[in-house]
Amino acid sequence: MWKNYLKISFRNLKKRKLYTAINLLGLTVALVSFILISLYIHHEWSYDRMYTGSERIYRFTQLFADSQEREMVSSTPSSLPPTVMEEFDEAEAATLLFDLSIFQSVVIEYQGEQQEEKKFAYADENFFDVFDFEVLVGNPQTFLSEPRQMVLTKSTARRYFGSEFAAEGKTLKVETSEYLITGVMEDFPSNSHIDFDFIVSFKSHRHGREPEWSPSNYYTYVKVKEGTNMEAFESKLATMSEKYLGKEMREYGIETGFFLQPVIDIHLGDQSLNNIKPTTDIKYLYIFAVVALLLIAIGVINYVNLATAEATERNKEVGLRKVLGAMRGQLFGQFVSESMILTFASLLFSLLAIYVLAPQFSNFVGFEVGAQNLLSPISILGMIGLVVLVGLLAGIYPSLILSGMEPIKALGNNIKLGGGAWVRKGLVVFQFFVSMGLLIATFVVESQLSFMREVNLGYNQEQLISINYPYSLRDKAGTLVEEMKRSGSAISGAQAANSPIFIQAGYSIMSGGDNPEDFSITGYSVDKDIVQTLDLELLAGEDFSDADPTRQQAQERESIHPVLFNENAIRRMGWDPEEAIGKTVNLGFGMGRVKGVVKDFYFNSLHYSVGPLVIFNDPNNSNVLLLRLPGGNPAPHLAKLEEIWKETAPGRPFNYEFVDSAYGQMYNAEQRISQVFGLFSGIAIFIACMGLFGLVSYVALRRTREISIRKVLGATQINVIQVLSADFFKLLLVSSVMAIGFGMWFASSWLQDFANRTQIGALPYVISILVVLALATITISYRAWKVFKLNPAKTLKTE
Amino acid sequence: MIELRELDKFIESRFQRIFILKGINLTINEGEFVTLMGPSGAGKSTLLNILGLLDDDYKGEYLIDGRPIHRMKERERSSLHKSEFGYIFQAYHLIDELTVFENIETPLLYRKVPSSERKSIIANLLDRFNMVAKKDLFPSQLSGGQQQLVGIARAIAGKPKVLLADEPTGNLHSAQAQEIMEVFQELHREGATIIQATHARSNADYGTRLINLVDGKVTTDETIQHA
Repeated sequence: MWKNYLKISFRNLKKRKLYTAINLLGLTVALVSFILISLYIHHEWSYDRMYTGSERIYRFTQLFADSQEREMVSSTPSSLPPTVMEEFDEAEAATLLFDLSIFQSVVIEYQGEQQEEKKFAYADENFFDVFDFEVLVGNPQTFLSEPRQMVLTKSTARRYFGSEFAAEGKTLKVETSEYLITGVMEDFPSNSHIDFDFIVSFKSHRHGREPEWSPSNYYTYVKVKEGTNMEAFESKLATMSEKYLGKEMREYGIETGFFLQPVIDIHLGDQSLNNIKPTTDIKYLYIFAVVALLLIAIGVINYVNLATAEATERNKEVGLRKVLGAMRGQLFGQFVSESMILTFASLLFSLLAIYVLAPQFSNFVGFEVGAQNLLSPISILGMIGLVVLVGLLAGIYPSLILSGMEPIKALGNNIKLGGGAWVRKGLVVFQFFVSMGLLIATFVVESQLSFMREVNLGYNQEQLISINYPYSLRDKAGTLVEEMKRSGSAISGAQAANSPIFIQAGYSIMSGGDNPEDFSITGYSVDKDIVQTLDLELLAGEDFSDADPTRQQAQERESIHPVLFNENAIRRMGWDPEEAIGKTVNLGFGMGRVKGVVKDFYFNSLHYSVGPLVIFNDPNNSNVLLLRLPGGNPAPHLAKLEEIWKETAPGRPFNYEFVDSAYGQMYNAEQRISQVFGLFSGIAIFIACMGLFGLVSYVALRRTREISIRKVLGATQINVIQVLSADFFKLLLVSSVMAIGFGMWFASSWLQDFANRTQIGALPYVISILVVLALATITISYRAWKVFKLNPAKTLKTE
Repeated sequence: MIELRELDKFIESRFQRIFILKGINLTINEGEFVTLMGPSGAGKSTLLNILGLLDDDYKGEYLIDGRPIHRMKERERSSLHKSEFGYIFQAYHLIDELTVFENIETPLLYRKVPSSERKSIIANLLDRFNMVAKKDLFPSQLSGGQQQLVGIARAIAGKPKVLLADEPTGNLHSAQAQEIMEVFQELHREGATIIQATHARSNADYGTRLINLVDGKVTTDETIQHA
């Protein structure tokens, strides 16, 4: 029986070439998108689930709370791992990991050549007891247990030594110390939240030999024994933090405590914690999942629409089969087998397409896509399930309609298939609603992005570069800037603690000065040239001058610090910029005098509004050189600056960053969602238009005679297009109204995340709808034109 | 074996019932070759459809071998439909996508006849109608008469007790029509019960009984004597 179903299905599909092609293409595109999105979601979801007993591995977090703020951080003190192992039976293993890159990059020297490396970490000897990453060379029990030991990943070993087996026993010079390579491990999997090229023994670090309860710079992981009562365990942690840290922290007015975060929750969990790798907001995974389902739905709808439209053509066959004794179930089987064949063929095409697109896609999502994740038993099972599900979804409705027809009616000549018309209309409305909705969402995201790119930040990013410099250069940085300015390759320059795109040091304004109340404030340590370098606008008072003492000098002399505030801070203190000048403010570490007030500028991502800011003349706390290049081609100026840099800091790579591009990178998540929406709205429109083309084709076929008569009576091409498109345009109108509603909801809820948001006018809606309508019109017109070209003498004769 | 009692079929319109069949009382015995005659719109096709269980929208009683059809469940009725009836149409109604062989095979598939048995049944039928060479052709490649032969082969493949034929020769020219009628006669001689609806008086001569329908009523019911 099934053989017969298949045979007939094949012949039917072969006979209706247009129908088959449209369905194949639509389903293939939908499946490709769906599979790729699924792979991405699965990859994100699978983070940190590959370690043995991963559900028993936790990362410690530490709470710092004062009267105003509670902050949870994921870094902890170096005394935590040994204490946990000593005091708690629940702990099977505990390890410490120190990501050096949050402070600085390191320079590694091998055979006289220097390389700057960023993925560099310290780990203690228990690291591989907690995380069973694959070790290729060396003994994981001992290869991190002594000072100056180093483990490389496979690709790092290949990079330096040509092979993972050639590295052991060699030495690498890190900054000034030699490290002995004692092991090589497999590269960290792309779905691990840990990713480094170098791991050196924590014993090489001072805190590795003498653990302390401060500072909290280190990640601590614990693997608990099976069957551990986690609640009881966490409550014991409170006792421990009280015992070792409670008294001391209370002296600073800070409350602290330790908590546990399951390692499998790190990647999709709390976005505010610091992490080794950028995490993913789970919200976006949900959005992607919905988009994937919508695309599949659109593909399925194409099939359903075309198949029911085509039912008119096939009613004779169905009626006959019933007369010949087919049960409803048997007919059902036949039509479902047709949709299954189509879906299966689409799956094969999709796999082929994915195979071809794998490099581009891997690039886009940041992990390797290929046979290994497509052909695992689970994904094969998943894909078979997908084919069955999509095949059924697509096949069920048309099959029901077809198999439910009454045979004598079906055999008669003049029946019209009324049933299904409403469903079909509803489905078309849905398809175009989704297409327009996605397009509107794309425009909304895009206009917020361009708003963020083009908004006046309050300072000038043009030709502005930043260069991080190490602690060792701190004393020379001032003269370095002066030399660079003298060279003519920098118009202006200053030292600063951060690039202005993200200033984050937390300070407090205390009572005791002229200000009425306490509040938290962001502090920006810079040198006296910052206002000029960033082109900040001075609203009142004066800029720093050479005569002003630096923070360090003022502290030594116990004199007053001249400081600048932004307008927001001044208003917060209840003053106007003019009246604030000369007032004294208690900065916590000393008294400050308001020397000048600068206009507010954005010093954080536009997700946040501008808060109060104080600017210290404090070059000693700076890490960054900010330099503005002269206009024109930056290359020769950069070369000149590099020369000067090399003289002052031999051996340090000259790593500069353009501030405007760094600013752009802050919105990578938004950028990506915009790309995804853009891409998939395009795909949705494409599939929907193909479906429309198919539907119009059937309508045209049914109405060929009518159109021919109209033509004989003198109808023009436009008239024919109108006749054919009138019904569809009503549907598209309904879609448009729904899409506008969705768009307004999306705009208001998505923009909620931004303290500074663009105004969404009517334009995104109008453009999206017009684009889709235009494409639909082209689709319909093309089809109508084909019918119009038919010779009426011929078409009328056959009737 | 077939018995109709006071059978009415009508269309409910706004002001009145329009009767298509009215007060039909009819008994057909096994082995009869019945011809339904009458002008267009007399109700011949409707009556055939009701007899063949394709239409259950009527009032009155319909019994097969004493069992009342109108009280049967859908399932029972459809299995009866499969075992008792074979259909032949004026427009042949072969499935265009299927070959001659597959068209004949279709009813057997729906009756779940095993593959080897199917093959032998079809082989016999092809042989009988001299169509062995044409078994892999599609309907569009055959003449009208040949298509109708396939239609007949398909109708009798499932070994139904009753053959229903609605204007079986209506689309054929006279030589072909005669050939088809001779096939019917032969089937009748072999014991088949045949009920045909036709315009042509000449076709009735091949049968054993002639029923005239006018405006939904039986006007005459006579036995045909063969010389």
